[in-house]
Amino acid sequence: MTLAAEGARRGPLDPRLLRRGRATLAYLVAGVAVGSLTAVLTIVQAWALASALGTIFETHTLGVLGWAVPTLVAVFTGKAVLAWLNQWLAHRAAAAVKSRLRRDVLAARLADPVAAEPSTASVVTLLTQGLDALDGYYSKYLPQLVLAFTVPLIIGVAILTADFTSALIVACTVPLIPVFMALVGWTTEARTRKRWRVQTRLAGHFADLITGLPTLQVFGRARAQAQGLQRSEAAHRRETMGTLRVSFLSALILELLASLSVAIVAVAIGFRVVFHELDLTTAFFVLILAPEVYLPVRQVGVHYHDAADGMAAAESAFAIIEGAAPAGREPVVPVEPPAAGVRPGQPDLLRIDGLTVAYPGSAAPVLDDVSVQVRRGELAVLTGTSGVGKTTLLHALMGFVPAGAGRFLLEGREANAGQRRGRIAWVGQNPGMVNGTIADNVRLGDAAAPDDEVRHCLDLAGGSSLDPRREVGDDGEGLSAGERRRVAVARAALRVRSGRADLLVLDEPTAGLDGATEASVLDALSGLGATVLAVSHRPAVIARADRLIPLSPAG
Amino acid sequence: MTVARAASGGPGWRWLFAPVPGAVGRTALATLLAFGAGASSVALMAVSAWLLSRAAEHPPVLYLQVAAIGVRVFGISRGLFRYLERLVGHDVALRLQSALRLDTYTHLARTTLLGTRRGDLLARVISDVEAVQDLVVRFLVPGVSASLVIVATSAAFAVLSPATAVVLVGSALVGGALVPALAQRVSRRWDAATAPTRGELAAGVHELARTAPDLVAYGAADTQLERVLAVDDRLRRLDERGAWVRGVASGCQVLAAAVAVIAALLIGGPQVAAGTLQPVMLAVLVLTPLALHEVLATLTQAGQSATRALAALRRVREVLDAEPVGAGDRELPTGALVPGPIVLDGLAIGWPGGPVLHDGIDLVVEPGESVAVVGPSGTGKTTLAATVLGLIPPKAGGVRVTGRVGYLAQDAHIFATSIAENVRIGNRDADDAAIAEALAAAGLGLDPARVVGEQGATLSGGEARRLALSRLFAGDFQAIVLDEPSEHLDAVTAEALLDDVFSSMGRLPLLVITHDPDVIARCDRQLELGVGAVTYR
Repeated sequence: MTLAAEGARRGPLDPRLLRRGRATLAYLVAGVAVGSLTAVLTIVQAWALASALGTIFETHTLGVLGWAVPTLVAVFTGKAVLAWLNQWLAHRAAAAVKSRLRRDVLAARLADPVAAEPSTASVVTLLTQGLDALDGYYSKYLPQLVLAFTVPLIIGVAILTADFTSALIVACTVPLIPVFMALVGWTTEARTRKRWRVQTRLAGHFADLITGLPTLQVFGRARAQAQGLQRSEAAHRRETMGTLRVSFLSALILELLASLSVAIVAVAIGFRVVFHELDLTTAFFVLILAPEVYLPVRQVGVHYHDAADGMAAAESAFAIIEGAAPAGREPVVPVEPPAAGVRPGQPDLLRIDGLTVAYPGSAAPVLDDVSVQVRRGELAVLTGTSGVGKTTLLHALMGFVPAGAGRFLLEGREANAGQRRGRIAWVGQNPGMVNGTIADNVRLGDAAAPDDEVRHCLDLAGGSSLDPRREVGDDGEGLSAGERRRVAVARAALRVRSGRADLLVLDEPTAGLDGATEASVLDALSGLGATVLAVSHRPAVIARADRLIPLSPAG
Repeated sequence: MTVARAASGGPGWRWLFAPVPGAVGRTALATLLAFGAGASSVALMAVSAWLLSRAAEHPPVLYLQVAAIGVRVFGISRGLFRYLERLVGHDVALRLQSALRLDTYTHLARTTLLGTRRGDLLARVISDVEAVQDLVVRFLVPGVSASLVIVATSAAFAVLSPATAVVLVGSALVGGALVPALAQRVSRRWDAATAPTRGELAAGVHELARTAPDLVAYGAADTQLERVLAVDDRLRRLDERGAWVRGVASGCQVLAAAVAVIAALLIGGPQVAAGTLQPVMLAVLVLTPLALHEVLATLTQAGQSATRALAALRRVREVLDAEPVGAGDRELPTGALVPGPIVLDGLAIGWPGGPVLHDGIDLVVEPGESVAVVGPSGTGKTTLAATVLGLIPPKAGGVRVTGRVGYLAQDAHIFATSIAENVRIGNRDADDAAIAEALAAAGLGLDPARVVGEQGATLSGGEARRLALSRLFAGDFQAIVLDEPSEHLDAVTAEALLDDVFSSMGRLPLLVITHDPDVIARCDRQLELGVGAVTYR
């Protein structure tokens, strides 16, 4: 229901959704064609029924059934096939868009890998249940929106050919429906929105209390909260009913207009039949068709909530897709194969010139005109207080965040993100673990590494107690934060040893290790012969550094 | 509080309705109103058909007035009945939901929930209780009322032409019950087959989002993306079968309605020719089934909602029927107290109803001492904490503590309210000065009136941990259990937090669950809960 409210804020037709749904355009057109064809069959059905009823009533003979019944059988069979076809087309349309959005959202996530928002959990929810809400949008709402124009037109013309007066009544009443609904929407919008906020807050209270129950129990406060819950539940019901009284109004208007219009048409033709102004067959024909004119318009209202839910889901998807790729942000750059050999005369393996990084929405840059120089074979350590931008600098180096200004040079040559990644073995602060064994995770560094090489790298990383065959669950479950870091260091070591990287970039590599292990890991990493750029605040690491790069707050 | 729910069999309607006075009556009223709405639309068609036929006999207009008024009344009543039905139905549903929420809360409050694996259960209970609304609004009221409309229409037909009534009932059963039920059975089996693939997709997305930086850094992003999209592709193909079944079902419904219309024509027509049926009734018999189509669609939707909502209800019942585990809520001693030692005396720990995880634990933590509890995950460190806190009873031996034992969880919940109210979880009587003091002691310079949590601003990991810590300062505790105090915090933040905790709580006995070497190094001693063995260092 929250989703519906969110979606309702933007009109039900989002051009971005239509654009992205171009793949499904054919299905949508086919869906509308099926709907229109169904309307034509409905006209034939009405004609056959009206003729049969009228003729039998007036002549008391059954000859008319000879053609009317086979016609009806054919028409109903056709309608049944079209109903089946409609479901299938609707599914295809929705499925294509969903797949496209899944791909785009995941690609956006990879283009902006270190984004804190949205959380992993919300991405998962969005791409699974969230996008399913688009089913309703594509399979029901969107085709219905078009049919709400075509079907009344087709059937209206049919009524017009039979009886002008009835067609006039229909033509006057059908447009009233959207007009009145819009009026109701406008007049109640502000009120509904205000109530909605209160209601959402109250609805969240139960979830908040349940989720926080373990915490409440620890402080002996769980039972005492029941009374507060009872109060908030009563208030929640009051507020919700208040919202519903208003929001059901538009449905009421819709139903009233539609069925009252049918009633008016029926009574009008009834009296004209009495006065011989209309023959019975035509009267039946109009009576059968009249509700069919209003049906698609009513269906638009019925499916509006489907649409709103779908729109809200699409909205979240677009927020991720567009958030990851504002102007100037680099797309996913694949890792490029490492360049060959050392180039003599270029002692600086890495140079960063005038790097400036600012996060969107914040005026002051995190890094302002920072330059860094690291020579081949050095252990360079980035130091500075928490929040000064050490991790951001590494992220910019890896191409995870865009640099506002500045150049990255490897051996004196400017290198793009893909080229840099082709030379760097990276260990983040909170290393990610793929599902599989510890060995699978280490082999991210070199897929072809033999078992003893994996073992060796784990030992180098201070993880001699780690069994490579141990399964790692979701989110590295089963491994402590320190163990995850050791696996990641082993991964980076493997990368270097396989010759696919010569620069180690480490963000707090030894946090979670005790002093002795820490020393041996650092020695082992230096022993690999690679250049190391590390963030650390530990005295033991700083003491070993060949070069200290102190960062001070920007501005 | 609400009336206790009696255990009973069946789908549990009585179990659901009993605690809410007037719920049955209101549900009946909603059903009656829904019947009124459904019957109105059928009657609108039937009376209109009669009106036209009667008009064709050219009677004095006066004879048609009643029918004409009837047509208009039915035109209006459908919408009005529907509006009222929706209001009454939602009102009942909300009442039932509120009662169930309260019962769920009080029940869960009585059972000990400490431990990490409970998160899923809690999240599911929240959404399951939500689904109970659908049971009334989308299943019970529309399902029963639609069936009543069909019964009433068939009864009226039986008076006019028994044969058409039989066909009508038959086609309604096929179109409204049999076909949807069959379709649902088939698609349920397929849904069950789809579920693992859905799970696979969720896991793939989760993995990709969680490991994105590593995948990009090591050039594995594209491979992983293609792998997830392959799952998506498989899921799409599986879903297609479901769409196919739904399509066949809706086609069959059209055919069922067609049978009723054509049969009425084939039965009624000869009867009119033979003079056994009043001619004005023929159109009524033939055209009314057209209006029934909408009613049949309602039945299909009701069936679809029922499966989901009933499964949710069943799960909620399982939770509520489960025996409470442990003490649930704690009873903390009151008054001014002096810190004393935490004494574990030949203690055996284990979850109630579960096996003994460790026994013979002897440990004394004096005020001013800190002991690290270490051991691999799943070895029972949190079980030990729950036992020391008195949330679950010891399996053997005893725990002696002096005064109130405070607990700092690694995932302490931050409630969606003000900072001050969050601190008051630690001590409900804390005044503004005490709260400011507790916040300062926890090193948190936040405005006590600021609203945080779901609806408010979010806190950083370090701030959230410090807010949880301030509850301990507000509460005046005589002994403290810390559960992974540094987990999920970056090294600098963790270090600053630990400095503050150890300096401000140093005079109390501290039991510290951890596997962080930095934290272990700060403690005076270690208690290692190994696999089947307890070691002291």
